[in-house]
Amino acid sequence: MTEALRVDAVSFRYPDAARPALIDVTLDIEEGTFALAIGPTGAGKSTFLRVANGLVPHFTGGAFTGRVFAAGRDTLAYPPRALADAVAFVPQDPGASFVLDRVEEELAYGMENLGVDPAHMRRRVEEMLDLLDIEPLRTRSVRSISGGERQRVAIAAALAAGPRILVLDEPTSQLDPQGAEHVFAALQRLVHDQGMTVILAEHRLERVAGQVDLALGFDEGRVTAGDPAAVIRRLALGPPVARLGRLVGWDPVPLTVRDARRLAGSLPERLRPASPVPGDTRVELRRLSARHGDAPALHDIDLTAGEGEIVAVMGRNGAGKTTLLRSIAGVHAPESGSVRFGGHAPRPGIDAALCPQEPESVLFADTVAAEVAVTLKARGIDDVRPETLLAELGIAELAGRHPRDLSAGQRLLVATAAIAAGRAPVLLLDEPTRGLDPEAKERLARFLRSHADGGGTALFATHDVELAAAVATRVVMLAGGEVIADGDPAAVLGDSHVFAPQMTRAFGPGWLTPEQVAEALA
Amino acid sequence: MRVRTLTGGSRLRAGALLVLNVVGLMAFLWPFALPAFTGGNENHHADGPVVLLVLLVCLGTLLFVELGRGGMGPKAVALLGVLGAAMVALRLPGFVAGFSAMFIIVLVAGNAFGPSFGFLLGAVGTFASGLFIGGLGPWLPFQMVAVGWVGMGAGLLPRSGSWGVRIWALAAYGVIAGYLFGALMNLWSWPFLTAGTAVSWSPDATAAENLRHYLTFYAATSFVWDTFRAVGNCVLVLALGRPLLGALDRAARRMRLEVGDDMNMTGPAMPVVREGAVDVEDPAAVLGGTRGVPVGR
Amino acid sequence: MTGRSGMHPGAWIAWATCAGMVTFTTTNPFYLALVVAVSFFVYAAQRIPGPTARSFRVFAIAGLITMVVRTALVFLGTIDAGNVAFAALEGARLATLLIVFGTFNAVTDPFGVVRLAPRRFHEPALAAALALSIAPRTVATAGRVREAQTLRGIPTSWRTLPALAVPVLETGMEEAVTLAESMDARGHGRGRRTRYRPARWTPAAILVSAASLVAAGVFVTAAWTQRGDLHPSTSPIAWPEVQPALLAVIGLLAIPAFAPRPREDA
Repeated sequence: MTEALRVDAVSFRYPDAARPALIDVTLDIEEGTFALAIGPTGAGKSTFLRVANGLVPHFTGGAFTGRVFAAGRDTLAYPPRALADAVAFVPQDPGASFVLDRVEEELAYGMENLGVDPAHMRRRVEEMLDLLDIEPLRTRSVRSISGGERQRVAIAAALAAGPRILVLDEPTSQLDPQGAEHVFAALQRLVHDQGMTVILAEHRLERVAGQVDLALGFDEGRVTAGDPAAVIRRLALGPPVARLGRLVGWDPVPLTVRDARRLAGSLPERLRPASPVPGDTRVELRRLSARHGDAPALHDIDLTAGEGEIVAVMGRNGAGKTTLLRSIAGVHAPESGSVRFGGHAPRPGIDAALCPQEPESVLFADTVAAEVAVTLKARGIDDVRPETLLAELGIAELAGRHPRDLSAGQRLLVATAAIAAGRAPVLLLDEPTRGLDPEAKERLARFLRSHADGGGTALFATHDVELAAAVATRVVMLAGGEVIADGDPAAVLGDSHVFAPQMTRAFGPGWLTPEQVAEALA
Repeated sequence: MRVRTLTGGSRLRAGALLVLNVVGLMAFLWPFALPAFTGGNENHHADGPVVLLVLLVCLGTLLFVELGRGGMGPKAVALLGVLGAAMVALRLPGFVAGFSAMFIIVLVAGNAFGPSFGFLLGAVGTFASGLFIGGLGPWLPFQMVAVGWVGMGAGLLPRSGSWGVRIWALAAYGVIAGYLFGALMNLWSWPFLTAGTAVSWSPDATAAENLRHYLTFYAATSFVWDTFRAVGNCVLVLALGRPLLGALDRAARRMRLEVGDDMNMTGPAMPVVREGAVDVEDPAAVLGGTRGVPVGR
Repeated sequence: MTGRSGMHPGAWIAWATCAGMVTFTTTNPFYLALVVAVSFFVYAAQRIPGPTARSFRVFAIAGLITMVVRTALVFLGTIDAGNVAFAALEGARLATLLIVFGTFNAVTDPFGVVRLAPRRFHEPALAAALALSIAPRTVATAGRVREAQTLRGIPTSWRTLPALAVPVLETGMEEAVTLAESMDARGHGRGRRTRYRPARWTPAAILVSAASLVAAGVFVTAAWTQRGDLHPSTSPIAWPEVQPALLAVIGLLAIPAFAPRPREDA
């Protein structure tokens, strides 16, 4: 039998859930397939991944019907630990899933559980180190390595025990473009050189949509399996080139930059409308230098931001984006130089409000509305109700929910609401798009625009090129703690290889969003 | 589908566990318990190491059995790890005259997850924080068992019912446990520390005399510290108890852990399923509006 | 802190236990002083750089304080030179004990001790190891939360403690779920385990353990037979005598200082 995964009329409902998470799912995935699970948040992707290795229903409980055969084994009869040598599972945040301290030992942990003899373990560890290209990390502590490296270590650790099926839950949501590249390259190697079956759930489809053999489209618990282009078209999701295809009416939609160029031909360089003139300067950084611990983080930064601007701060991990935002907020003391808000040093929370990288850091109330109310009370604002502020982010319907029961995207929006409630004119967001689904991203973009239209200023640090292309009025590029580019998005992004949006790659500088291209082609 | 429990769950085991815990208690109370068993020996200078060794063996056995049970499963281990980490992190700010914020974790987690888990967390968390700050020594088994008992006791307190009752009961327990912990930790080492003084322990003296000596010693040394600890526990429970317990209860629900009152923590952490023996749900039941029915039952 | 090629932790446990027992059997200040010197020597030679090395100083200070307190207890009873001397010697013994354990803590790799656990205790030992690895993350999370709340206008104070404690705990709970899922998926609890790189008993470890056991054995025997000037008289106060043989035996406890040093890895 050449099926890696056979799913037969599976329906599943989580305990205490009102609606089923999966409805009558039937599909087969052959060995050696590179499969992609896509769909909006809550549609059942994560649940499906966990069905493949038995976590559903053994770990989660709940009501389950149907049958699943992973590598020939019935997952109802085999709990997850019995499938450990058949299916490898890599969760979304691998840092939280590590058990031991050293990379080498982490790789061996699964094999220790399976009672593999030490000599064999040593060989497998070496193989995994080479396969995932992480040999230099072998004696490092798992805490000290970068996000992309952590992801690859997690993959290696899950594969060490020998499974032929690899299941990943949003592996690149926390990675910068280079990190994501390395992970996808590793997955390609596994599929094409090793014949493995890889099933992954992803929101960031720009790089991977064109590489997969099979797409599983999730829509409120139902799954359509098929050709990636067709599934993506149907679900109205996908990378910018696919969105362009839908706007223009191409069928099949292109999934890669190359496909898009072939369909569209080339376009003349876009005439850019004049950038809006920013209003009064809100914040001014002059020759700012700062350290992060012992290491230099920012060097001689000159930067201003004014009313109505939405500034995207971009750069590799470690380039200094977080330090820059924290310096502006006033919580990171400069080593030299200054940050000034209308002549005075920043008053934390009053001049600028900062939404940190992990939005969970701020959520502690019992309901979403209460969360916003806390900030209102702390700042002495009593002329607006929490529900109104929630409506600005499009999440008024979540007012009574418990923040921890929400998805990552919803949590970010709640945290943003809670922080923006303080009415600071300058809004700072540190990597808001981590793990964000497209719908939440859209709501965030709308909020930022209305904030800027109302005279506010927003700066956000991000890897998400597409979001920057869609919403930013200015892009600042950081590298090694210095500003290497600062200006019009089309110019800055068009100039970069790594950070160019898909439209720019396909059609040249000046083309940032599918909507722009669609207009030109019409 | 049979669900394996954390502790084995039979009455015989529960009885054996009880006996072991009593033996452990005797180890702490040895200055009062010992003269009843031996004829008394003046030269306890030479006995010192032997007595300590015997005590450590008693406590070691208790820890051995409680910790060596196995079958905890990944959920329990993960929870112990995360909560133990919180205990370690809270040890860092150090002691303020005996008060250690570490106790609040044991108190709330013990109450939320049951006596069996509470003991494990106390023991494992103490061990880990000893490792972390470099505080290993012969006192460690005593500390592990004593903190474990604090957690275990918290698990025996009311868990359901009104919040008011739950929190006040826990706060009161925090005060009592704060003092008892200090008294016990002081008690086992008292004879070693005070040999030859006016407040020394003597195997020949009557229980009343020994008690008087001990209380004097206690008042002079430990009482103030223990008051700080007791008050600190109470304050923290009152300030943080409700939100923390709420979070832990939610986590228990999300992890499908059914916390029993009989010292067991059950849950589908380690179900044992034989091939072909599972009841598969009727699709209509899954898709319809009926309440979730656990797999296989 | 993860120097793994040091001696088998069991040897260090043997050393610490035996040195502790030696200390326990005597109040002779000369023997005690030699034990302190030996402990310091071993500490200096074998300490693992990092937070645990600091513990030696902490223990030394704790030892000093204990000695002072113990001596002060005399004031609860009759005060004369003999009693004071007795109390001081008792205090010195306690202080020495603490210094022995200060050394032990400074030379032991915490993860090594955890890895030592026999199979029965794999799960609690793993939990302890997890607690050690997760603790720094917990501290970092707490710092982030505090900063975020301050930016919202919520200062850090007694009344706003839930704003700090709850996010940290709930984040921890979510990470526990991810961790448990991952452990389950990687076969936790499946059956008989094997060990990837078990700690081995090197000749050095065996020698250290044997020497420590000999030292403890000699002193316990001496205590039992009440020979060897283990407890100098304090009423009346007399100058303590020492047996050179016993001094040499204490010297055995210095052997670990000459063991190969742990290799430092990144």
